[in-house]
Amino acid sequence: MEIIKNNKINETEYIETLENGMKIIVIPKKNTKKKYVIWSTKFGSIDNNFIDPTTNTEVKVPDGVAHYLEHKMFENENGVDSLYKMMALGLDANAYTTNDHTAYLFGCTDNFYEGLDELMDFVQHPYFTDENVEKERGIIGQEIGRYDDEPSWELYVNAMDCLYKNNPIKLDIAGTVESISKITKEILYSCYNTFYHPSNMVMCISGDFEPEKIIEEVKKRLIPREKMAEIKRIYPEEPKGINKKEKEANMGINMPLFMIGYKDELQEDKVKEDLAVQIIFNSLLGKSSKVYQELYNEGLLQTSLDSSYEYSKTYAHALIGGESPNPKKVYEKIKETIKNEEISKEDFERSKKKIYGDLVSEYNDVENIGRMYLSDAIKDVNSMEYIDKIDDISLEYVNEILRKLFKENESIISIVK
Amino acid sequence: MNIIKTEGFKTNLYAIFLTVPLNKKEVTINSLIPAVLRRGTEKYPNQLEINKKLEEMYGASFNCGVDKMGDYQVLKFYMETLSNKYLPEKQNAVEFLKDLVFNPLIENDSFKKEYVDQEKENIKRIIESRKDNKSKYSLDRCIEEMFEGEMYGIYKFGSIEDLEKIDEKNLYEQYKKIINEARIDCFSCGEEIEKIDIPVKRDKEEQVKCELQEHSIKNKEIKEQMDVSQGKLIIGLVTPEGEKSVVSVYNAILGGGANSKLFQNVREKASLAYTAGSSYIRRKNTIFIKTGIETSNYDKAVDIIKKQIEDMKNGNITDDEFNSAKQLIMANLNLIPESQEDLIAYYFDQKLYDENLSLEDYIKSIEKVTKQDVIDLAKDVKLDTIYFLHGQENGKK
Repeated sequence: MEIIKNNKINETEYIETLENGMKIIVIPKKNTKKKYVIWSTKFGSIDNNFIDPTTNTEVKVPDGVAHYLEHKMFENENGVDSLYKMMALGLDANAYTTNDHTAYLFGCTDNFYEGLDELMDFVQHPYFTDENVEKERGIIGQEIGRYDDEPSWELYVNAMDCLYKNNPIKLDIAGTVESISKITKEILYSCYNTFYHPSNMVMCISGDFEPEKIIEEVKKRLIPREKMAEIKRIYPEEPKGINKKEKEANMGINMPLFMIGYKDELQEDKVKEDLAVQIIFNSLLGKSSKVYQELYNEGLLQTSLDSSYEYSKTYAHALIGGESPNPKKVYEKIKETIKNEEISKEDFERSKKKIYGDLVSEYNDVENIGRMYLSDAIKDVNSMEYIDKIDDISLEYVNEILRKLFKENESIISIVK
Repeated sequence: MNIIKTEGFKTNLYAIFLTVPLNKKEVTINSLIPAVLRRGTEKYPNQLEINKKLEEMYGASFNCGVDKMGDYQVLKFYMETLSNKYLPEKQNAVEFLKDLVFNPLIENDSFKKEYVDQEKENIKRIIESRKDNKSKYSLDRCIEEMFEGEMYGIYKFGSIEDLEKIDEKNLYEQYKKIINEARIDCFSCGEEIEKIDIPVKRDKEEQVKCELQEHSIKNKEIKEQMDVSQGKLIIGLVTPEGEKSVVSVYNAILGGGANSKLFQNVREKASLAYTAGSSYIRRKNTIFIKTGIETSNYDKAVDIIKKQIEDMKNGNITDDEFNSAKQLIMANLNLIPESQEDLIAYYFDQKLYDENLSLEDYIKSIEKVTKQDVIDLAKDVKLDTIYFLHGQENGKK
């Protein structure tokens, strides 16, 4: 077992990789009654084309299958739905699908081991029939309909469409009503057998636990599976550069939303780069920046910009989102700022302090910890690295990222009106 | 002054609440006060200085806003900082929070005109953009219809018409009045926390109080058409005054989570919706049922929902439904100590309504509820208002 202790935040991380390839991360936390577990497979909406390691043949599946599978995992042969069973135990249970993973989770104060029994049972026992797969189509159709009315979702998908020509991150995670109409129980089983193998899965646990003991409890509940070779995912070739400069959608909303994006093709240490991007955004466009105050005073911005850096193994981009009565004007101002400004020593030091504070606050809640470690682990990143690297980052490095990622790069804008 | 000791958090949270009875004439002007206060203090006269200071404090955060709590309007101010253990140097969070609330930037006996004008414009935009968020809008509209002519029916940001009458002078007058007359509650939550003492002298110290306003059943059915691909159905129920713990269990059986009647029957059995549930507004004796459905399924959905309410009246509640509802409530209550914000919200609500029930006692009161209690109560639950925000019949935009 690997043990990583961080004295600055007074937290310790225990990492165990089991023989079957599954990774378990435990972050023990005293003084809390809440316990949280999240179990995930590296199977998301972008994994729609792959080589089945057992048959060595190429498989293409309809869009939205990872999400459909997530819905159906709760089904059991005895007719009991595992989600309801967990909720009846008083657990806050849920599941979600992103572009690169599917996760099953619960938080609770009581009945943790009963919950772990159920969670590990249903994730390891798929039960799909023609009838139960059919029944779900209406519900998922309504879920897709709900996203259609969600301007912020439309905004994001369009931003991805501007940044990427082929990368499936531009697809709707739930698929479309048309694509999910092709999903059958055979497709679900085939995806399950490939992607829900322990070697493709990660579990994170946080709460008042003894690490060795809880890892034993997990191992006890694992069903032995044959070893499996690595899954080869086939992603379409993504050309350099952006797909299109802008996309505008009309949804009849009063306050237009915008999202500005920069596609990142640099081969950097992504944790370090993420921190550098955060420092850049905070210094140049954050609430304590001159530009933000000007935009605010001119009535062009009402709430702070929502900036983020997103990356996985197949993509990386920096995003700046916000609402404005005149997104184009904000866009011009931001582009001009990024082109002409450098990060000053003063802004750099202050931004580092702020980001340090934000990182430490993440450790307030076991649920937050579990989610953070899990989503980082999917990208082969250890969350603890952030706390260590924020101290080492230099002003020169930040300005270099500013130049390479922003100044010399073409940007996109997505607008929803 | 309230101190809530917690262990294990990396942060301390401080809060100041100014509470006044909801009032149609003053709701708009009051909602503008936090927005202007956060623009500048005597010491830090603009947002740039305030935000720089917050960042220098290792990412302290200041938040403020207005809320409706029953028939009260509450102006809320929060400051969150890292607790001393994780700070390289101690920070004076309480002083800063007090400054933001009690020492605003004043020019010629009024607020700064520029700030007031800008924040008026901002609130105007919020009011104009109400329809952008369809789920929130439909709930707000149901509340407005159900509580038409009553205090609780007032929209928390007020109206554009009233906004236009506000200037830097009368806003400052209103601010002084609020500081003098509002009920003030301060909370400190965390480890090694400081007390917040109120730095102003007030004319009278008795706390404002408002009686729960009588509600008259409306029996309304409102349909509003908009460009939506999914219809939003909201149904308001009136619950009897009295044992709130019994109503909590009633609500959880009806629509609290995946084992509830609504989720099981509207979503699972009829496949009409992705979400279906209800929430209980304790301080207004009201339950709101919420679901998103196709426009053409309106009648079907309303029938199924009415049937669930009838079933509860007739005592058709299984042991599973009853037990999992109780579990759900307990689980939520057990999580309150895990969030500093929730702890403060819980104790503030208890104080405001003079109940002063500890969390432990509150949990016990839920434990005591029997199925028969719920059935007896179900007979007195009344349907009040049905609100439906829908698109065109064919379901397409």
